[in-house]
Amino acid sequence: MAKDMTLLWGSGSPPCWRVMIALEEKNLQGYNSKLLSFDKMEHKSQQVLDINPRGQVPSFKHGDIVVNESYAACFYLESQFKSQGTKLIPDGAEEQALMYQRMFEGLAFYDKLCAVIFYDYYVPEGERLDSALKRNKEALVTELKLWEGYLEKLGSGSYLAGKSVTLTDVVVFPTVATLFRFGLSAERYPKLGEYHALMKERPSVKASWPPHWLENPKGQDTLKDI
Amino acid sequence: MGLTSTNPVFEGWRLLYKQTCKAFQTQSSLFPFCYCWESTAHSATMAKDMTLFWGSGSPPCWRVMIALEEKNLQGYNSKMLSFEKGEHKSKEVAAINPRGQLPAFKHGDVVLNESYGACIYLEEQFKSQGNKLAPDNKAESALMYQRMFEGLTLFQKLAQSLFYTRFVPENERHDSAQKRNTEELKAEVKLWEGYLQKTGPYLAGKSFTLADVIVFPVIAFLFRFGLNEEHFPKLAAYYNTVKDRPSIKNSWPPTWKDTPGQNALKDF
Repeated sequence: MAKDMTLLWGSGSPPCWRVMIALEEKNLQGYNSKLLSFDKMEHKSQQVLDINPRGQVPSFKHGDIVVNESYAACFYLESQFKSQGTKLIPDGAEEQALMYQRMFEGLAFYDKLCAVIFYDYYVPEGERLDSALKRNKEALVTELKLWEGYLEKLGSGSYLAGKSVTLTDVVVFPTVATLFRFGLSAERYPKLGEYHALMKERPSVKASWPPHWLENPKGQDTLKDI
Repeated sequence: MGLTSTNPVFEGWRLLYKQTCKAFQTQSSLFPFCYCWESTAHSATMAKDMTLFWGSGSPPCWRVMIALEEKNLQGYNSKMLSFEKGEHKSKEVAAINPRGQLPAFKHGDVVLNESYGACIYLEEQFKSQGNKLAPDNKAESALMYQRMFEGLTLFQKLAQSLFYTRFVPENERHDSAQKRNTEELKAEVKLWEGYLQKTGPYLAGKSFTLADVIVFPVIAFLFRFGLNEEHFPKLAAYYNTVKDRPSIKNSWPPTWKDTPGQNALKDF
């Protein structure tokens, strides 16, 4: 099964990381894993364009099936491999609903993070404004406080949607890890810090940790003051 | 008199049916007529426990309404609010959705304020009633998920272009940005035209799926804003076919019914 799968990915890209965590959680290690370099623009190479006309990673193939959207790939893997590995979608209606709610809030969370740490990447030089970046930082802080609150409500040692790991953690943990990589203070955001420490030890996360983060353990400090 | 559990005649039939099932020790699905009544009563009860706050024309809200219709959950408490009057920021909405956004959806104690989340939840929880929105076939299922999530990009590019002045403060606007956003939306729309050239009649193939529930409202929005049917014949054919679906007709934005659209996209 895993041998029929190919994933094209870039180190440190949260969308790519989501799919890698999902593959690990579903015991699909052994897939064809192709690390590409964003710096060398390899995500725009023919290899990627053949699978993904948008020239984006992750690009994921399973036999003839192509799924290039990270959330889509995660849903696909859980639905096709329900009976193996970790159960990522709970059965109960309330647990499921909370999981979906947080998963999709995770999209806003990721967007707000990118609007700060990748501001210069997304906005051409002539259009950059201090006021815009300031506003983006404020929006990220508001969002962080929401997630601190969510974790506080669930209690110590919990995952994002309850007592067990679910698809929510698969898709949102990479965002949380990136926050801390970019200098987020665990003192100011203790619940997120606790969650980060908990998930970091999980086998699926360790197995898929961004290689260039291992090479350079020191991240950046863009977020240290927020 | 209606098909609700408070109707004594219906209750009588329900009891008889249950006893019959028990006597034959069989599943209710072998008695389709009775099952239909049973599930209709069940749906009506279920829908009564549901509340949706929504705004007319908002694709995220429209998605949930389509899903509710498709799953035979008509009869939910439907609360239309006005974005213009700022009603999405009211205490009533904040009580369900601290983000002050619509849609805000409640089912008993369950709260789902993310349109994708609500649609997937409704399909999962009501799998056996209404229309099946998630195909079993692996390839169709994968394509459904793929298009559903590409739908995020389509909507984002639409919003960035058509609502530029709503989202960007006056002193931060740039012609170059607005122009770029317009070009990006045009490229995105062409991509979807291409998708429908290869697949049809629905976004994931032969059947109407969650991909259509999620993305149709965005495509409808494009035509509402003047997208030219002649320039995008496949999208137009899709739009004109799907808009006659009962779930779509029943949830059509009320503010669109008697007013003309806009023409921001007519030159695409």
